[in-house]
Amino acid sequence: MQFPLSMSDISLWIAVMAIILLVTSELIYSHSENFGDFAIDKTRLRLAALIFGASFMVTVLLRVIAPS
Amino acid sequence: MLDQKRWRLGTAKAIRLLQLLFLSIALWFIYWSHIYEMTYWNKTLLETFQSNFPNVLVYSILIIAVISLEFQSKRRRRISMGPSSVKTREISMSTSSVKTLETLQKENEQLKYELQRSKKLPSNKIGIALLIIGALLLFASVITSSTILAFIGLGLTFWGALFLFARPTKFVRSQILDATAISSYITLDRIMDDLNYKGKPIYIPPYPKETYLPEHLRGLKEMVVFISAKDYTKIPAIEEMAKKQFLVKNPKGICITPPGSALVSLFEKELRSDFTKIDLDGLYNSLPTVIMNNLELASNFEIETEKELIHVKITDSVYKDLYSKEQKLKSVHSIGCPLTSAVACALAIITGKLVTITKSNISPDLKTVEVWYQTVEG
Repeated sequence: MQFPLSMSDISLWIAVMAIILLVTSELIYSHSENFGDFAIDKTRLRLAALIFGASFMVTVLLRVIAPS
Repeated sequence: MLDQKRWRLGTAKAIRLLQLLFLSIALWFIYWSHIYEMTYWNKTLLETFQSNFPNVLVYSILIIAVISLEFQSKRRRRISMGPSSVKTREISMSTSSVKTLETLQKENEQLKYELQRSKKLPSNKIGIALLIIGALLLFASVITSSTILAFIGLGLTFWGALFLFARPTKFVRSQILDATAISSYITLDRIMDDLNYKGKPIYIPPYPKETYLPEHLRGLKEMVVFISAKDYTKIPAIEEMAKKQFLVKNPKGICITPPGSALVSLFEKELRSDFTKIDLDGLYNSLPTVIMNNLELASNFEIETEKELIHVKITDSVYKDLYSKEQKLKSVHSIGCPLTSAVACALAIITGKLVTITKSNISPDLKTVEVWYQTVEG
């Protein structure tokens, strides 16, 4: 039993997710009102986006330091 | 009939779930078959389309299924709302007895409850469901060593966790804010009219929270507004204010808690600092951010010193309707709305001086509220 994804797979996945979250949070942040029935904690969404962005940078650093 | 309605609601939910499932699988097919190959094997988009023709077919079918399900659910809704159902309901109403009416009322109540529930439905159920499915798929991917399952599992776990993490905080409509604030302003107007007090409200700064005060002077730590009987800037003696009295005798007037005092505490909480510890420049820098971004009380907030006055310009305030002519509130102009009152409180705390609202200007469309504050030595 072994996890099937390698470091580069996870890195790419995190990058895609970080971009989606960053773009979404950036688009949402300029709106001060809610969107009809849709309400979300914008600060937390932005925090999650930043965490994902930072994690991607960490994976890149790891690949630079210890390329496998 | 009730069961039928429940069944209809159940199928609608099932359709939504199916749509979500199809869409996520289709998206993962797209991701897997094109983006992955383009990144790792340096293929062009056309090459990936050619090599993954069966995949293209599968996700096209899935997306078509999602769209057709959407149309189907809309049509079903329209049919259920259509004139025939109304007609049959009318017929049954005309021929029914009190019992039928009761059942219909019960059904109505049930539907109202269902509607309320569906409106209130937070994303935590979806989040938990996605998280569980994602975790199971991740586990399955480890057993079967399948990368596709791992990607799907990761994706579902991620969205589940995100739904749980970024759940909306309790949301209150601005009309409710107005409705709850109006009554206290009406009461204040009635008191002022009844007592015939014409003095300008003066915001009296409290003692800092950490200052030690004896038990009988603890009342001085609370922010108060003094409204005098006549127009003068004399404030009551410390002893009178410490007693937390409403009617003050020397000078004649009333002491009330400002409408924005609780809001100031919220500002401090958001800023994670005490207003007694920052200066006026610090307030000018931090207050717009708290009001516009953190608490979203207005779309724009400007604060600056204008000669001896402090000028505040607020655009699209959540309390703007309090200034409307229909409300006919006098006190909101003199003492300020909760937001302008909170600014006055903050200014009083920071400067340690008495603060009065000298002038307020409201645009005809209520979009912009301008207030000029003056600080007076106590």
